[in-house]
Amino acid sequence: MSSVIKVTNLSKSFGSKAALKDVSFEIEQGKTTALIGPNGAGKTTLFSILCGYLKPDSGQVEVLGYNIGDPKLFSKLSALPQDAQLDPRFSLEKQLNFFGRLQGLSKPNAMNETQRVLELVGLKDNLTARVAELSHGMRKRVCIAQALINKPEIILLDEATAGLDPANAREIRNIISDLSDQATFILSSHDLNELERLCSNILYLEQGVLSEHKTHSYQGEHSYITLQLITKPHQVLDYLKQLQDVTHVQQTQSKEFVIEYKAENKQFDIQLLKYCHKLNWQYRQLINGNTLENELFNKE
Amino acid sequence: MSLFRVWQITQFELTRIFATKRGLLALTAFAMVWFMIFKYLIAEAVPFLSDPIFQDIARQLAGSIGFQELISWPEAEFAIYWVISLYCFPIFSLFVGSDQTVGDRQRGTLRFLSLRSTRDEILLGRYLGQLLIIATLITATVLATLIIMSYRDSSLFSSGLLLGLKLSLQLTLISMPFIALMSFLNIVTSSSRLSIVMAILLFTLGSAVIAYFAHYTPFIDVLFYAFPGEQITDVAGQKNTSIIDWLIPVVQSVGWLLISIVALRKRAL
Repeated sequence: MSSVIKVTNLSKSFGSKAALKDVSFEIEQGKTTALIGPNGAGKTTLFSILCGYLKPDSGQVEVLGYNIGDPKLFSKLSALPQDAQLDPRFSLEKQLNFFGRLQGLSKPNAMNETQRVLELVGLKDNLTARVAELSHGMRKRVCIAQALINKPEIILLDEATAGLDPANAREIRNIISDLSDQATFILSSHDLNELERLCSNILYLEQGVLSEHKTHSYQGEHSYITLQLITKPHQVLDYLKQLQDVTHVQQTQSKEFVIEYKAENKQFDIQLLKYCHKLNWQYRQLINGNTLENELFNKE
Repeated sequence: MSLFRVWQITQFELTRIFATKRGLLALTAFAMVWFMIFKYLIAEAVPFLSDPIFQDIARQLAGSIGFQELISWPEAEFAIYWVISLYCFPIFSLFVGSDQTVGDRQRGTLRFLSLRSTRDEILLGRYLGQLLIIATLITATVLATLIIMSYRDSSLFSSGLLLGLKLSLQLTLISMPFIALMSFLNIVTSSSRLSIVMAILLFTLGSAVIAYFAHYTPFIDVLFYAFPGEQITDVAGQKNTSIIDWLIPVVQSVGWLLISIVALRKRAL
């Protein structure tokens, strides 16, 4: 697979504070990537540099083989910048048509695209509404709609579902999931469950330093299963360790356990369920693998 | 640079004033102010200037401030219109051009635009949009003056039309660098109000500081040429004006726009 984004030795400081330190990574075409990190880790700085809003102090960024800001990227790279708003005085139709025209679409095509992307985000009935008349969630969806105009190849979404109600957040996740075959998404979010569902590649930033890691990286000698129980039985850890082929058990929450076992045992999940039944343990959830949250924050 | 994208941005700017509620309100206020100017200044002053009893006094008064050429115009309405517009439109340009990019930058709207057009195109498109708005308003007021004048003396219509065209062009040229200055101030300040405050400080405190230093180092006088409107007093009398007087605002506009382009390229959005 070819890489669509290539970042090499990227650094950016604000005064004496280093926001990004020698960051390098590549994102392959079609691989939905999550950008994760605590507040102030440098996620938005990295997004801003990828979009050309900020200039790095050093390092190189190539998007589809072009430098950032190259006009050839105008219809290929799009973004939902965090906290950015459309002009509240104009209608959705007017502004999205204008964006379409700037991307080189003819008037009828720009109008068609406006209707298509508004329908995608469930706002087709608000075509002539002014942005000022929309709720916070609707404004966010319009901002996502603008990122979909003319089917760009790379879409960067910074906190796409933040502030949306569960139903709308689910809609947005569905859109990303549906379009992930046609475009490469790069998502930033604090919702790890959401990222886990959508992304196959994780970029973890902490204090400006990047560590890249792949989800479901349990395909080596060992495999993992995450078991969530409804109650916490006595000496549960000891019982779990007694199971055949278990190599390690980690308690990640009061009733959640990550079980590491030999990958050669293909029947382990069945075995575990039977074991729970035998011991009269009621389980809430059985997850094939480790959760992203545990991978990132419960490393032993 | 894509002229297509520049033109799209310019067209969008035009709709900002001619197709939004806020823009139409501003236009109504503008029309009301000019209605007052026409009714109470131009219409009242013309009979006074045409009256033989007061003509000599008016000539002497105008002569002492270099306006004797204007007094001799048979199109008296245009003479008064010119003197008022010469100072009104530059000030009006500062206000109209006070939110070219700063509001959109603060709101984040420029981030959407910068993924679809270069920063140079955004700056130039917005500048041209504001310039077209001012040029349209100048033309509208010139036409109103022409109508009022023709109502008084219809034989002056054709000469008035030519004079009106000339004055429209001259006023547009004079307003150009004021809008370009606001393009720059929009990039270095954080609101349109602050841009206006900076412009006022530049024209008052800035020129006073230059005048002070020019007292000791004469060549610093040259810095006055960076100030839009530097040539206004030279062209006000419409007599002995040279091509340089009309080139100065063009050069100033290009200069301020180039500085703005460099500043916007470096600025974080």
